[in-house]
Amino acid sequence: MIDAGYAIAAILAMAAVTVALRALPFVAGRWLRRHALVRKLGDALPLSIMVLLLVHAVIGSARDNPGGLWQELLAVAIVAVLQWRTRQTLLSIAAGTAVYVLLRNA
Amino acid sequence: MSRSAHARPSIASLTAPVAMGYIPLGAVFGFLFVQAGGAAWLAILSSLLVYAGAAQFMMIPMLAAGASVGTIALATFVLNLRHAFYGLSLLNSMPAARGQRWYAVFGLTDETYSVLTALPPDTVAGRMALVTALNQGWWVLGTALGALAGAQAQITLAGLDFVLAALFAVLAVEQWRARADTVPIWLALAAYAVGYAIAPAQALVLAIALSLLACALRPDRPKRARKEAP
Repeated sequence: MIDAGYAIAAILAMAAVTVALRALPFVAGRWLRRHALVRKLGDALPLSIMVLLLVHAVIGSARDNPGGLWQELLAVAIVAVLQWRTRQTLLSIAAGTAVYVLLRNA
Repeated sequence: MSRSAHARPSIASLTAPVAMGYIPLGAVFGFLFVQAGGAAWLAILSSLLVYAGAAQFMMIPMLAAGASVGTIALATFVLNLRHAFYGLSLLNSMPAARGQRWYAVFGLTDETYSVLTALPPDTVAGRMALVTALNQGWWVLGTALGALAGAQAQITLAGLDFVLAALFAVLAVEQWRARADTVPIWLALAAYAVGYAIAPAQALVLAIALSLLACALRPDRPKRARKEAP
């Protein structure tokens, strides 16, 4: 069982961090836009971080999976191709996850 | 995306696709949260207060493993860093009313951002809070449904937590669509390899630090018509 007090503390901390990040451009937009470095980071960093999180999640899944890495890579490829071609987030996530769950429980 | 002043998409046509995504995904979040040992009302509370899909999925294994609140906050910071750049393109179209403005800032998720940037610029301010509220409503509704189902069911499907990886893949594709710049991908892969070689358990944190450094030190891209927003 996850302790309620601990979960509430985590939820409040996550909420504070998230709203601070979302508010940053409205509070410091002028400053952010003036700085070339911020612009450069805004251009490239979000994609880098998403790729890192993806790789990390895939490696985490593969570690618990005796079937090996190819199942994760196949499922990610399905998600990426579907999302690229259809832009239907739900379809991409559902199809990739369904294929992965089937492979894992086959 | 079309920004023509003639096209005035209705609110319903804009939030319906978000509903189709948020209700089922929220349901998977609620389900996994309860299955991991959390109370249903805590899942709903996090959808009300945190309202950040990928971060909420990420919190489940962290809470189950008893990670420190500081570690969870740091992970949320890294994951949601992209949101710090969203508002820049919406700076001039915020609602005038204080309460509405703060709520719109609070609820600026990936999907809400993409809906708002698809609206004609002159109507964004008036509709921002409403669009945000509808989208969060779908997310909370889905969470509640999934949490209630999770409290009843006793199925354990290996691999269902792959939704988080799938969500990251979707976000990566959308970031790539917006920038069409392959360098950040190679940087990230190289950074992860280096981080993993140094300390597998800390690979992600090391790789994020390396990527940040590499992105900051990277020579400027050749000048061309660069868009302010995706």
